[in-house]
Amino acid sequence: MGVSDTKLSSKIYTALVFAFLFAPIVILLVFSFNESKSLSVFSGFSLKWYKELFNDRITLEALKNSIVLAISATAISTVMGTAAAIGINRLRNKWHKAAMNTVTNIPMVNPDIITGISMMLVFVFVGRLFGAATSLNFGTLLIAHVTFCTPYVILQVLPKLRQMDSALIEAAQDLGCTATRAFFKVTLPTILPGVITGAIMAFTLSLDDFVISYFTSGPDMQTLPIHIYSMTKKTVTPKMYALATIIFFVTLALLVLNNLTDSDDDNNIRKNGKNVNKTSSLKSRQLKKRVFALFVVVVILVSMCLTCTIGEKELVLNVYNWGEYISDGSEDTYDTIKEFEIWYEKTYGKKVRVNYTTFSSNEDMYSKISSGAVSYDVIIPSDYMIARMANEGMLLPLNYDNIPNYQYIDEDFKHLYYDPQGQYTVPYAYGVIGIIYNANVVDPADAKDWDLMWNEKYANNILQFNNSRDAYGVAMYKLGLDVNSTDKATWDEAHQELLIQRPLVKSYVMDEIYNMMESGEAAIGAYYAGDYFTMVDAQAEDVDLQFYYPERTNYYVDAMCIPSCCENKELAEIFINFMLSEDAAVANAEYTYYASPNRIVYENETYIENMGEEVMDILYRHSGNFAENYEKNAYRSLSPEMLDYINSKWETLKIN
Amino acid sequence: MKKTEPISRKGGFGISLMPYSAWSLLFVIVPLIFVAYYAFTDDNFRFTTENITRFFTATSAVEGDNGTVSEVKTYVVIFMRSLKLAAISTVICLVMGYPLAYIMSRAKPRAQKMLVTLIMIPMWMNFLIRTYAWMTILQDTGIFNSILSCVGLGPARIIGTETAVVIGMVYDYFPYMVLPIYSIMTKMDVKLFEAARDLGCNSFGVLKRVIFPLSLPGVLSGINMVLIPSVSTFYISQKLGNGKFFLIGDAIEGQYIANNLHFAAAIAFILMVILLVFMGLIKYFAAKFVYGGE
Repeated sequence: MGVSDTKLSSKIYTALVFAFLFAPIVILLVFSFNESKSLSVFSGFSLKWYKELFNDRITLEALKNSIVLAISATAISTVMGTAAAIGINRLRNKWHKAAMNTVTNIPMVNPDIITGISMMLVFVFVGRLFGAATSLNFGTLLIAHVTFCTPYVILQVLPKLRQMDSALIEAAQDLGCTATRAFFKVTLPTILPGVITGAIMAFTLSLDDFVISYFTSGPDMQTLPIHIYSMTKKTVTPKMYALATIIFFVTLALLVLNNLTDSDDDNNIRKNGKNVNKTSSLKSRQLKKRVFALFVVVVILVSMCLTCTIGEKELVLNVYNWGEYISDGSEDTYDTIKEFEIWYEKTYGKKVRVNYTTFSSNEDMYSKISSGAVSYDVIIPSDYMIARMANEGMLLPLNYDNIPNYQYIDEDFKHLYYDPQGQYTVPYAYGVIGIIYNANVVDPADAKDWDLMWNEKYANNILQFNNSRDAYGVAMYKLGLDVNSTDKATWDEAHQELLIQRPLVKSYVMDEIYNMMESGEAAIGAYYAGDYFTMVDAQAEDVDLQFYYPERTNYYVDAMCIPSCCENKELAEIFINFMLSEDAAVANAEYTYYASPNRIVYENETYIENMGEEVMDILYRHSGNFAENYEKNAYRSLSPEMLDYINSKWETLKIN
Repeated sequence: MKKTEPISRKGGFGISLMPYSAWSLLFVIVPLIFVAYYAFTDDNFRFTTENITRFFTATSAVEGDNGTVSEVKTYVVIFMRSLKLAAISTVICLVMGYPLAYIMSRAKPRAQKMLVTLIMIPMWMNFLIRTYAWMTILQDTGIFNSILSCVGLGPARIIGTETAVVIGMVYDYFPYMVLPIYSIMTKMDVKLFEAARDLGCNSFGVLKRVIFPLSLPGVLSGINMVLIPSVSTFYISQKLGNGKFFLIGDAIEGQYIANNLHFAAAIAFILMVILLVFMGLIKYFAAKFVYGGE
C-alpha cells in the first residue's frame, strides 16, 4: 500500500466517524427550524422556536444555572486538582501514592448513578443533623460537580508533571526563587497545557451532567439537563433544539478561535519537548498573563452570578410542578410566573422571587420531598399522590380565607376522595385518559374500547404507558378489575394481560408518544385527552389522528397543595389564589390543553372560542357527572407493600 | 527570606494535597460508606442482609420463544443484559476509536487540535437532546429508513432493539474512548516505530509489538470511561430501547422513584463491587498479556 493510499483511506475513515458523530447534530439543526412542534415531521422553515427560546424565562434561567455551575465547578476543581496533582507527584511513600490514586479513581470508576445517590444520602443526613428544611441546594450541587470533575483535572496534569524535570525547580530555588515564585515561573508554564485540557474537560462534564445533578439538586437550582428531563410528561419542544443549535455555534466559534490563537505556542511546546523550559522565560510571562486574565474573568463571572442569585434579600417562593404544565410566555402567551412577581410587588410593595422547578412524575416528586432533601412551598401532584401525602402528614391544611378565588371552583371538584374534608387542596386541572389512533391505519370499526390496544391486526403499532400504575390501570380497566385492588391476585391477572399485549407493543412511552403518533411511527396509544390536540396540531400529512374515550377509564385531578416543609405559607396561599384568577387560569388552561375545574375558565367566552367546539366537547364531556365517575374510576393511594409488589411485577414485565 | 528546602525531597503529604485529601474523604469515601450502610439496613436502619439477598434471589417467570415458561433471577438477568450491551458498546468504541486516535496523533498539530475540538463538540450539546435526535434518525419512519428505502432496501427495524441501545451508548461515550488513547499516542516517539521496522517488523508487527503496548494505559482508561457509564445508563435504554430494555440503571432509578432507597443502595453497592473487581481483572490481564512473562 502506498503512502498516499494510506493517507486517503485514513481521511475517508476519519470523515466517516465524524459523519456518525455529527449526524444527530444535523438533525437538531434542521428541526430547530421546523414550523410545527414535531421533532420528526418537518413541515416548513420557521424561526419561531428561536424567538420562543428567548421568551422562555425558565429555560434561559436553567441555561444560566448550568453555566454558572459549570464555571464555578471548573474553577474550583482546576485549582484543587492542579494542587493535588503536584502533591501526588511529590509523594514518595508507596502506600500514600496508592491511596491517592485509588481515591482519584473512585469517582471515575463509579457509575454516575451511584455517585449521585451516595452524595444525596450524605447531604440529606447532614441536612437532618442540622435540622435544615432543605438539604439540597446550589452548594450541594456544586460540591457534587467539583467531586466528579477534579479527578479529570488531576489525570490531565499529572502526566505533564511527570515529564517535567524536577531539577528545574530546584535550580530556580537555588537561584533565589521562593517556592511560590518557582511554581509560577517554572512549574505552571510547563504543565499549563494539561491544566487547560483538564479545565475544559471539567467544564464539559459539568455542563453535560444529568444523572448526578438529578440526585443532588434542590429547589433553588434547576440545571438545563434536569429541566429537559422533566419535560418527559409533555414533550421536548424544538425550542430545545434551537438552544442546542445556538450552543453548537457558540462553542464552535469559541473553540476555533482558541485554536487559531493557541496553535503557535502549542507547536513550539510540542516540537521542543523537554527543552521548552529554555525558551520559556519569555513565554512564561506571556502565558502567566493569559492564565491570570482567564482567572480574573472566571472570578468576575462567578462572583457576578453569585451576587445576583444570593445577594438580594427578597421573599422566595419555591414552586414544584409537572414539566410543561404552566403557561410560560412562549408563543406570546401569558408568562404566569413573571406576572405573579409583578402583581405581587405592585400589590404588596415587596419583591418576590419564584423558584420554579419541575418534576417528571408524582413518584419522582414524592421521593424528593419525603427524603427531606428539598423544601417546596407549592406543589401540584395528582390525586392518589395527594391522598398518600395527606395520609402521611406531609401536607398543611390551607387557610381558604387567603384563597377567595376558591369559590370559582366547581362544587363537583371539592371534597373528592383524596381530600374529603376539603382542607388540603385546590384543583388545578383534571382529565380523562382516552385512546388516540391514526384513522389512516386503523379501521374505525376496530376502534372500540380498550380492545383496540390488544388487537393483533395492529401488532407493532401499539403504544403502552411506560409507568407501572397507568399500564396496569389500562389492563385492569379492560378486564373490569378494581384498579385499586389490595389483592395481589388481581394485579397478577392484569400482569397476564400485559404479557399478552407485550409482543404487540411497539414501545412503552411517556412523552415519546407525541413524536410517534405525529409521524405515523405508531398508530394506537392511550394518553391524556388534552394532549391529543397537541398531537393533531403537529401531525404529518399522511396521518389522521382520532380520539375516543373507552367505557371505563382513568379520571384524574391534579391539585395545588402546600407541603409541610413550606416556609412561607401565606405567600404560598397568595400564589395559589393568583393561579385561580382569570388571566392566569385561562392562560394555563389554554397552554396545557387540559380541562379546568375553574368556572372563570370554562365559562370564559374567549377561552371557549379559542378552544373551538371539538376541543370543548372532548375536554368537558364529563363535566356534568364528574364526581360520580371519578369516585368509581380514580386511582387511589396504595400501601408501600402493594407498590413494591407492583414495581417488581413491572420489572418482570420489562425483562421478558 | 529564608531559603527553603525543595519540598520534593521531604516526601509525605504536602500542603497542596490537603484540600483534595479532605475533600475526597468527605465527598468520596464517606458517601460510599453511606451506600454500604443503606444497603445493609432496612427502613428503620436495623441491620439486614435482605436487600442483598433480594438482588440475587428475586425471580420472575419468563416466557421463552417456544412458549415455555421458565423462572429466572430478575436482577441477575437485568445485570447481565446491562453488562452485555455495555461490553459490546465498549468493544465497538475501541475498534472504531483506536484507528481514529492513531490517525489524529499522526496528523499535523493544527489539524490535531481541530480534530480534538470536533470530537468534543457533540459533548457540549446536552446528552438528553442528542439521544432524542437519535430517536428521530432511527425510528421506523425515521431518516435512516427513508434513506434505505431511497436506495431500494427494505425498512430496517432498529429502534426498540438492542442495536439501537448500543448505537446510543457508542455515540454518547465514543469521545471518552478516543481522547485518552489519543493523548497517550501523541507522546509516543516516532523513532521507536522506525527502529522496530529497521529490526524487521512489518506494519502489523509494529502495531502489535510497539504501538499497542505503549498505548495500553490509554486503552484501559478508555475502556473504563466507556464501560462504566454504559453499564449504568438509564436514559438511553428508555428512549432508544422503546422502554422495552430494562437495564440495571433503570432498576436503580425505579427503586429510587418507588422510594425504596435501601434496595436502590443495595443494587448500587453490588454493582459497584462487581465493577471494581471487573476493572481490576481487566487491568491485571492486560498487563499480563502485554508484558508476558516479565
